[in-house]
Amino acid sequence: MVSYVIRRLLQLVIVLFGVSVITFFMLYVIPGDPARMLAGKNATEEKIQAIREQKGLDKPIYVQYGVWISGVLQGDLGESFYLQQDVAEMIRENAPNTIQLALAAVLIELLGIPLGIYSALRQYTFWDTALTTSALIIWGIPVFVLGVFMQWFFGLKLTQWTGLDIFPLTGAGDNVLWIVPASWASLSTLILPAVTLGLIEVAYISYMQRASMLEVIRADYIRTARAKGLGERKVVGKHAFKNAVIPVMTIAGIDLGALMGGAILTETVFSRPGIGLMIFQAIGSRDVPVVAGGVLFATVVYVFANLFVDLGYAAVDPRIRLEE
Amino acid sequence: MAERLLEVTDLSTHFFTHAGVVKAVNGVSFTLDRQETLGIVGESGSGKTVAALSVMRLIPDPPGKVVEGTMMLRGRDLRALSDDEMRQVRGNDIAMIFQDPMTSLNPVFKIGDQIAEAIMLHQDKGKDEAWRLAAELLERVGIPDAKNRVKQYPFEFSGGMRQRAMIAMAISCNPDILIADEPTTALDVTIQAQIIEVVQEMQEQFHSGVILITHDLGVVAELADKVMVMYGGRTVEYGSIDQVFYDPHHPYTWGLLGSLPRLDVVEKTRLTPIKGQPPDLILLPAGCPFSGRCAYERAECRDNWPAHELISEGHGVNCWIPRAEREETRAALPHFRSAVA
Amino acid sequence: MAGREFIHESGATHGSPNVDEVAAVGAVGELDVLDERAAQTAEPGNGGAKPLGLWADTWRRLKRNKLALVGLGIIIVFMVIGLVQVIAYPLTDGRGVTPYPPNQQNYDLSPQGRGSPPSASHPFGTDYMGRDILSRVLVATRISLLVGVIAVAIALTIGLVLGPVSGYYGGTVDSVIMRLADIFFAFPYILFVLLIMTVLGPGFVNVFLAIGILSWASFARLVRGQVLSVKAMEYVEAARAQGASDLRIIFRHVLPNSMAPVYVAIAMAVGGAIVTEAALSFLGIGIQAPNASWGKMIADTLTYLWAGSWWMVVFPSIALTLTVFGFISFGNGLRDATDPKLKE
Repeated sequence: MVSYVIRRLLQLVIVLFGVSVITFFMLYVIPGDPARMLAGKNATEEKIQAIREQKGLDKPIYVQYGVWISGVLQGDLGESFYLQQDVAEMIRENAPNTIQLALAAVLIELLGIPLGIYSALRQYTFWDTALTTSALIIWGIPVFVLGVFMQWFFGLKLTQWTGLDIFPLTGAGDNVLWIVPASWASLSTLILPAVTLGLIEVAYISYMQRASMLEVIRADYIRTARAKGLGERKVVGKHAFKNAVIPVMTIAGIDLGALMGGAILTETVFSRPGIGLMIFQAIGSRDVPVVAGGVLFATVVYVFANLFVDLGYAAVDPRIRLEE
Repeated sequence: MAERLLEVTDLSTHFFTHAGVVKAVNGVSFTLDRQETLGIVGESGSGKTVAALSVMRLIPDPPGKVVEGTMMLRGRDLRALSDDEMRQVRGNDIAMIFQDPMTSLNPVFKIGDQIAEAIMLHQDKGKDEAWRLAAELLERVGIPDAKNRVKQYPFEFSGGMRQRAMIAMAISCNPDILIADEPTTALDVTIQAQIIEVVQEMQEQFHSGVILITHDLGVVAELADKVMVMYGGRTVEYGSIDQVFYDPHHPYTWGLLGSLPRLDVVEKTRLTPIKGQPPDLILLPAGCPFSGRCAYERAECRDNWPAHELISEGHGVNCWIPRAEREETRAALPHFRSAVA
Repeated sequence: MAGREFIHESGATHGSPNVDEVAAVGAVGELDVLDERAAQTAEPGNGGAKPLGLWADTWRRLKRNKLALVGLGIIIVFMVIGLVQVIAYPLTDGRGVTPYPPNQQNYDLSPQGRGSPPSASHPFGTDYMGRDILSRVLVATRISLLVGVIAVAIALTIGLVLGPVSGYYGGTVDSVIMRLADIFFAFPYILFVLLIMTVLGPGFVNVFLAIGILSWASFARLVRGQVLSVKAMEYVEAARAQGASDLRIIFRHVLPNSMAPVYVAIAMAVGGAIVTEAALSFLGIGIQAPNASWGKMIADTLTYLWAGSWWMVVFPSIALTLTVFGFISFGNGLRDATDPKLKE
């Protein structure tokens, strides 16, 4: 186990290095003159030149990268070109909403596990067919399409038909304890986006869980369990379940990591402040430090999420753990 | 006189699939007494495993079904039992071990857990006691350092050890009958011998009957008292080891024996594999399944299943070739010329 | 079960988690064999059986999966329409094969500036500029088809070279390529696409490039896995013994036998590419005016949804969802049909 962890950590370092290089390259090097970019929009030639010297931008690229990355590693992600704010500060502000959304969506998507198992055990029956078909269709709906229609239906139509105005269409509310909604008003802004994300993921997870369960239930060791005289409940609930759920749990874990990094489409549709929206707006205004900082943040979170999932998998599945 | 443990008569198991009805087992009969070992031999697809699973009522339904036959376990009609009652039989009165111990053990649970499970289920023992017994069983089947091994996962065991663990699991509740489905096939030749030994020992200790399913005649010769040769879902010949090995009467049996390398034959002979392919179990002929592949086939073979012929006490065959002609043909075969009287 | 799955918000590489690693399935040993027999054509009673080819068997299993067949039907319809539009587009000066010119504005058809609902002459209605929506939806098929085909082609080209090379040679080459793939996998998908689009700038061609460049890693990893298992097989030894060069071995022997899961991955990847383009266009950095893609159509007409003009958003949404569903459904069906462990 230890050597596995070490291997993964080494891999992590290499990957993060590569990620930072690519990010730096794409945002600072390719577009052209980084000094001009760092100096800001309306800088004078002298200022640009001053920055160029000050930041060592007349030095070779790898030196520039070195300067940048050492700043990053110390927590200095630079300053926004337009917003007079530290990028790190902006991330700190926007993160809670995104984390909130990610957690909510993943909790919802875990419902896919029982659904998938139920479907697998009732293969070929009406319910199985119905669930599987729905799952595939919903899985295919692009998230922004679903978001728009959720807004339209629950926001507009529901109000029109019933006079109830429960779900705000946009925005986000205040939080306590960093990520917990502080009030119903705040919570209500979370519901539609979370359900939108969660619904599509539930469809995906239930399909995958079903597939996993179907495979497991045909395994030799299940036959052995039955041959021992175990009842179906034990056979499925103990022997099949553990094997079938493990791979699906890893999907959920990876989703959590990915969503933390920016549920950009959902945040855009619902105008919900968060990392994704922050990055997107920065792209629009060519606010390079914000884009760089945001992408780095999101990627680092995602990479670590993947690592934890892998380690978790190893912890639960003894074969990975012990097979050095 | 030994106690009769199992009596199977005219067992037929069919699978109703999209492509047609697969007649895996047709009219198979056999018995098993206490401390007796019955070997069931045949190639893949001959129906041996399906027959065993039928006895255990482990045939997946759909698409499979035992369509005919009786199975009496010490006088109890197995087909008449309810699901609950049958579950009590499994693992307790009849236990089964399977071919590939790697895939037949649940990878995410400890060995001890899997053995203790059976004990707790059938013997109403508590968890600690069950685990203790599990460790004892592991020791009995020859696994060193059993106390620690019992806490390990299947992956940490070698192939041979895994099979021993399977055997331990099977005998944990002192079953009357142990069915071993190709227990040595997935293992190294050197380990095979050890496993056979373990099975023998357990049989001694527990006085159980053993049904050994295999395509390996060497294993059968060593372990079994009597043997049943299956082909295409039917029994073509049966008898004691001596009878079948030294006085084989069915062309298929000749083929099986003839394809074995023999060290005691002085003249140079070629290995004679049986020509052709195993039959399609959906399109079985009404008669002998070996027709189409049998070198000595005659007109009636395809459409009529040969009547049962008793050669001597306990030795029977189903074949249209008249006995005298059979013995003559056999004598001319290279492998029997020098060895068989 | 790898292969770039469908793009969600999370953009995670779904499918790499290890359902395959779940302990191997048996069917009841012999029952497996029985099913083999059942599947084979045989001359009655001759005890012989001719195995059907891999494709015939796959097709047979696929046929039983109604959803997959529906998906295939949708894919075919999509491809036909798309192909027609692709060919006709330059020939008809941007009109394609449509009931009305897709960019033809007609404010008479848009009273109150919010288009007119579906009618006999305009089955999908008209948009706020009076343009026929059915025509626009049809023409936009061209974009989706091009994206699907070109982006995936780019990804395949890179992946089907790097993958086999990586798997076959192993060692340092393998490490380097796989680390590179790891780095590509490390970015959340949509962020990476956005990043590339930022650098390249918006537009038609850049979308293909961006998606294509990002998707190679899935294919490469997938093929590499296949190659690793095929590599150990005997016919590779045989070829080498005959003196075949490495390159020849890779591309003539190893690769063709590794392709089964790749086809599944391709189906999923095309679906994913189509959605990614839609998402990019929705965000405004994909297809630019005057080109129309479904994603862009949705983005442009969103606000009118609140004004009651649902048809402007609904029809492109349906086209998009249906097409993607087709690819997913067929892809899954194909995977089930080629999965040796799922034989009944």
